[in-house]
Amino acid sequence: MTSTTTPETMESSDPWVAPLRRCAATRSHRDSVAAIPNALASEWTKLRSVRSNLAILCGTTAIGIVLVWVLAVFVKTDPDTREAFTVGNSFSFPTWLSTVLAVVAGTLMFTSEVQHGTLAAAITAQPARWVTVAAKSAIAAGFGLAMGIAGMIAGVSGGVLGGLDAGDTAGMPATAAWGLMLTTVAAVFGLGIGMTVRHSSAAISMTLVWAFVIENLFRSFAPPTFSRYLPFNALNGLLSIETTSDPKALAVAFTRVQDALLFSSYTVAALTIGTVLFYRRDTN
Amino acid sequence: MITVSQLSKRYGKDLVVDDMSFEVAAGRVTGFVGPNGAGKSTTMRMMVGLTRPDRGEVRYRGVHYTELLRPACVVGSVLDVRCMHPGRSARDHLHAVAQLSGIPRRRVAEVLHEVGLDAAADQRAGAFSLGMRQRLALAGALLGQPDVLLLDEPSNGLDPDGIRWLRGTLRTFADQGGTVFVSSHLIAELAMFADDLVVVGGGRLLVAEPIATTMARGDTAVHVRTPDTAELASLLSRAGITVHTTGPTLSAHGTTTDIVSQIAFDHQLRIVEISETSRSLEEILLDITGATAEFASA
Repeated sequence: MTSTTTPETMESSDPWVAPLRRCAATRSHRDSVAAIPNALASEWTKLRSVRSNLAILCGTTAIGIVLVWVLAVFVKTDPDTREAFTVGNSFSFPTWLSTVLAVVAGTLMFTSEVQHGTLAAAITAQPARWVTVAAKSAIAAGFGLAMGIAGMIAGVSGGVLGGLDAGDTAGMPATAAWGLMLTTVAAVFGLGIGMTVRHSSAAISMTLVWAFVIENLFRSFAPPTFSRYLPFNALNGLLSIETTSDPKALAVAFTRVQDALLFSSYTVAALTIGTVLFYRRDTN
Repeated sequence: MITVSQLSKRYGKDLVVDDMSFEVAAGRVTGFVGPNGAGKSTTMRMMVGLTRPDRGEVRYRGVHYTELLRPACVVGSVLDVRCMHPGRSARDHLHAVAQLSGIPRRRVAEVLHEVGLDAAADQRAGAFSLGMRQRLALAGALLGQPDVLLLDEPSNGLDPDGIRWLRGTLRTFADQGGTVFVSSHLIAELAMFADDLVVVGGGRLLVAEPIATTMARGDTAVHVRTPDTAELASLLSRAGITVHTTGPTLSAHGTTTDIVSQIAFDHQLRIVEISETSRSLEEILLDITGATAEFASA
């Protein structure tokens, strides 16, 4: 496609009056792609300029520190394996919380824009809606990664403050990599949920009810060959959290790689549905 | 110039915009008026791609809004004064909008100054009054130095000084070649600075014409108090003027005080009092939209 420009008609230098130099130029797909850095910068400004995002990040860190410190000081050994807690085996404990909060943060990235009417301003400024989706996804992923890192730093800090030994640290890089991958993808998953539901309270409460109630019911009553496909089951698998001691369920459980692929598939599905609805729905 | 062609939008069974076509000329302020539920906001939202029309299109100098290379540099719009995060400062709000549109950061400070919000630039928008929000929303519309302004009820919440400022700003913008399309319920206010009117009702276009033409629709009457009522009435009737007499007062319709006083003077008739009344733009518009008003007062 090519860009065309119609002739100028307004020649005033007054700042109130537009110089029509670029007035009626039409946009090509290449122009939309070139606008992505601007959209990323805008989303970053939105993210950093609202205190609630910083509060979520700080909250993740603070709760993570307290969580591991309590385990180190008061619990001391894993009730299932009877192994003593060390920094090496406990630093990733806050990651589940980081993941849930990353889902919430990703959801709010879209729903708060709907709630406050800023989405309309974004669409009028950038009518190619996929550009907004791409920028939001990238920023959500970055924020999810930051939350994962904050959670793990909190885990290490809580362990050190609680006086834990370093323990076996050889497995830490791999555990950290899986955890960070999860929190990164989880924020984008939340964004997809937010784009689909478009209401903060509804989206967050539905997600939490699904995670804490519905999936537990499925795990209790549905065969493990079915429940292993559930999204938060995959999320737990990624963090090596065993949600059952049933040998039949353990026998058919997916590997970490399979769980990663499954959770990523849910994320792609949520984002795709959200994007389609974003295009189809009118914006208030 | 904005060209709206055969725009239609249906929500369920309700046809909220029905085959609406009109043009908004450059260098003029065009008022967009109609009763509640007339389809004004839906039309304006369709004009900037927020609502998808079922049929029809809107073009800015021949180009669809969604195809504009940099829309913010062509059209500045304020369709909802709530469009800002309460936890974000005015400066950050404008900065985010500017970045998305590829507008240099220096414009943020410039528009904040233009709308008189320099002092409140770093305050969170949640603490803003409605008038300050209107100014901030207008600042957002002006960021790209557009040549078209689409404003939905921009004077809501503004104090008298703010209204005067807005009126002057929009008038200057149009006088320098810009296109202003503004909806308002304050008809008297609109009559002070609008050049053209687009009147809608029941989702349909009722009138699109210069405001002077609309004003001419109003019936002008000359009221005369004279001891020679019968004689003056006879003279005016012979001149083809419709006359109604009530006691010592005579009302002549479709004429002016100049004509009536001249006839009386030519025939040596004494006039005690003479005055002229005409209907306000508001009354004329109520007549135009009356049959289409969805929500009318008892």
